[in-house]
Amino acid sequence: MKIEGEHLLPATRDEVWAALNDPDVLVKTVPGLKQLNPTGEDAYEATIELAVGPVRGTYQGRARITDKTAPERMTLTVEGGGRPGTIRAAGALTLEGQGTETLVRYVGDVQVTGILMSVGHRLFGGVAKQLAGVFFKALEREVHQRAAAEPAL
Amino acid sequence: MIPAAFAYHRPRTVQAAMRLLLTHGHDAKILAGGQSLLPMMKLRVATPAHLIDIGHVTSLRGIRLRQGRLRIGAMATHREIELSPAVRRAAPVLAETAAVIGDLQVRNLGTIGGALMHADPVADYPATVLALEAEFTLQGPSGVRTVPAAEFFLGPMTTAAGPDEIMTEIAVPAAPPMRGAAYLKMPNPASGFALAGVAAVIGLDQSGRCVHVRVGITGVASAAYRASGVEAALSWKEPNDEALERAAAAAADGVEANPDIHASAEYRIHLAGVLTRRALALARDRAMAVRRRGRAASRA
Repeated sequence: MKIEGEHLLPATRDEVWAALNDPDVLVKTVPGLKQLNPTGEDAYEATIELAVGPVRGTYQGRARITDKTAPERMTLTVEGGGRPGTIRAAGALTLEGQGTETLVRYVGDVQVTGILMSVGHRLFGGVAKQLAGVFFKALEREVHQRAAAEPAL
Repeated sequence: MIPAAFAYHRPRTVQAAMRLLLTHGHDAKILAGGQSLLPMMKLRVATPAHLIDIGHVTSLRGIRLRQGRLRIGAMATHREIELSPAVRRAAPVLAETAAVIGDLQVRNLGTIGGALMHADPVADYPATVLALEAEFTLQGPSGVRTVPAAEFFLGPMTTAAGPDEIMTEIAVPAAPPMRGAAYLKMPNPASGFALAGVAAVIGLDQSGRCVHVRVGITGVASAAYRASGVEAALSWKEPNDEALERAAAAAADGVEANPDIHASAEYRIHLAGVLTRRALALARDRAMAVRRRGRAASRA
């Protein structure tokens, strides 16, 4: 299943890029992300706890960043699984500077297996979109706080 | 088709249910009518360790019409709402909506509070409670609060209610004179869920113009929404067929429609437009009938 979308963030491209590459920021902004441990360069192990309605699951996964061109684009591969099923996702993030703001675009392909897929198929697109919305809102808050915390040069 | 093991709790009061919810936290789930939760548990998609059955909390039952407000206990079943004289008088479109949910077995057990908290994006009630501008009472550890329907549905099975809150009541303002409403859906032939469903409310003034238009749409996007473009297009207009058709064209404006194995995004958007036009026409005809009756009564 394809997912795509975009979000305009009120920060420069370098600031957004730095936030997206900071595990501390990701733990605060990715919905349900409990732990993110580096296992190598641009490779992480993650634990995600997520509840959608009565479907509650803990998922263990690996994330890898490839084709990294700062501060423009990166490719993200995520593989994970939990009791309700497994998820494999690959997607590209591109950052486009627009004055003092940055437009983040994402295009990805998600494969879901298990009971998660057989029962949740009709909900999946909507859930992905909603979670992306939650993530970008949190990211927006985070880049705001960072900008406020750093004294102007 | 056998659920995983769980502990079963049967509190008699909302406070007792609340305490259980706080004690067991993430591992607990409130059981209302069980018409969505139990099938998910049987498929083991949902595996709560504690089930808190609020079916014996008597304070959550009952439907009352008082001071121009319809107050529906969260545990009122769809069937009770469909047949309630108070609902039929004050908000007939809610009875009309309840009557087309699932099948008779589901309507006899399923509850309005359970359905709203479950927030399935293809459920029927969300469209109607949005169009009626209903308010929901939520009780949580820090007290009671009310949330307007317009702020409640956030995404698929995602609402403004916190994990430790219980819905206790649904309040609907009683329809003033010269108002008509309708709920229409294109049901999935197997499940009865709405591929698209539209609730429309139209209020007319003495000259027959629209002074009040509310349109709620379910099934189309990842959460039910108010079609504000349609509402704005009709405001202070005479609701003739051309005006309704033009307004209905805005039914899915600014909305990202949800494709799934049952219907494409394009088809859902198409349905939203067609059903909006039909629901608006039916709401208008009903509002005009009320107006005619009112005039006949005042002449007599």
